[in-house]
Amino acid sequence: MNSSHETQTRGRSLVAIAVASILLAACAAAPVKPSGAEEARAKLTQLQSNPNLASKAPAAIAEAERAVQEAEQPQTDRDLGLYRVYIADRKVDIAKAQAQTRYFEDQRAALEAQRQSARLDARTREADAATDQMRQARADDEAQKLVAAQAQLQADAATAQANQARSDADAANNSAVLSAQQAAQQAADLQHQIDTLNARVTDRGLVLTLGDVLFTTGKSDLQSGATSHLDKLVAFLNRYQNREVLIEGYTDSVGSEDYNQGLSERRAESVRHYLSGQGIDAGRLSASGKGERNPVAGNDSATGRQQNRRVEVIISNPTIASR
Amino acid sequence: MDTRQQDRRRIRAGIGLGIAGTFLIAACAATPPAPTAALDAAHLAITEAERADAGHYASNELAEARIKLDSANSAVTDKQMTSAERLANESRTEAELASARTTEIKAKAVNAEMQRGTGTLIEEMDRHAGEQK
Repeated sequence: MNSSHETQTRGRSLVAIAVASILLAACAAAPVKPSGAEEARAKLTQLQSNPNLASKAPAAIAEAERAVQEAEQPQTDRDLGLYRVYIADRKVDIAKAQAQTRYFEDQRAALEAQRQSARLDARTREADAATDQMRQARADDEAQKLVAAQAQLQADAATAQANQARSDADAANNSAVLSAQQAAQQAADLQHQIDTLNARVTDRGLVLTLGDVLFTTGKSDLQSGATSHLDKLVAFLNRYQNREVLIEGYTDSVGSEDYNQGLSERRAESVRHYLSGQGIDAGRLSASGKGERNPVAGNDSATGRQQNRRVEVIISNPTIASR
Repeated sequence: MDTRQQDRRRIRAGIGLGIAGTFLIAACAATPPAPTAALDAAHLAITEAERADAGHYASNELAEARIKLDSANSAVTDKQMTSAERLANESRTEAELASARTTEIKAKAVNAEMQRGTGTLIEEMDRHAGEQK
């Protein structure tokens, strides 16, 4: 009894559902795919297959995909179909614009790198130009120092002349004037020689600095350009036989101390070898390496380091015996 | 006991049919309320596009978004609420497109400017190098 009643109720429900379905179906015409949906799909497919854009705006592309799928639903309500196509079309356009934006933004890293490298180039060139200017300025500075040294030399010569004159006067009254003239002549001669040599007058004697440009980087061999400079030194030493020569090599602080010590020794030795090869008595020559010691400029700049890489040739003042 | 249960089941079935019927009728006849949320969203999207200067960069899209919103408001006046909601949604989407296009055009312009800047720098360097030589 009970179960038969349940069957009855279920039967009634089924009837109600059937009626409802018939009512709905009565309203509807045959569903069709809205016009324009295919165009929206084609536009989306194009975006999705563009390797530059497909991965750029995933959320917007997914939203466009949903809208297009909705627009593709076969539809009996023509207006609803057109509405969905309109929305789908714009969503695809939005996704495309966003992907394009991201693509542009991603390109900026590369553009920035290009700009940086161009800037770096510009700065390097500026720095090179500045170095050239500095080199020029240094050359000018050295020329000025030389002028000063020459002035000093003239003063020394005058003093020497006076001294010579006095001692000569003590020794022989009558030859005083003649000796003074000779001394003046000698001093003038010496000055001329020193001018040719580009040497500095110091407490230790005449100092001739050979810059590192005379050597190949890291090597101790003299470059061919160096020899013309050294030949003037040879001529000077041949003329003033009573002067001894101390050759000192120096380096900058780049590299190990041991290596620099060795390099400075080899470079000094290389100069000594050249001079003795040119006929200067080996007994007058001594060479030593000073490594990184006694820098003449700071090692923190390229210019300073270049000044520190040098060989100094110190020509001793004449021994007292020659007076 | 048995009869009372039967009565209760009958009442329940009756109520069920009643509710189903009401839904069916409501679906066909009732006028839905004005789509305030959709209209507000469209209005907001247009304001945002204007603020991004879409009037300059994507004027066609922005103009269409405004027309769609006007039509949506007219539809509300005519009690065509379904149409009003769709028009409002179309307006909003169009305004969002205007914003997206504006952003895209601006991004493109930035890149072009960067490229031009680098180009000028390289050109200038080459000219300086030419002068030095």
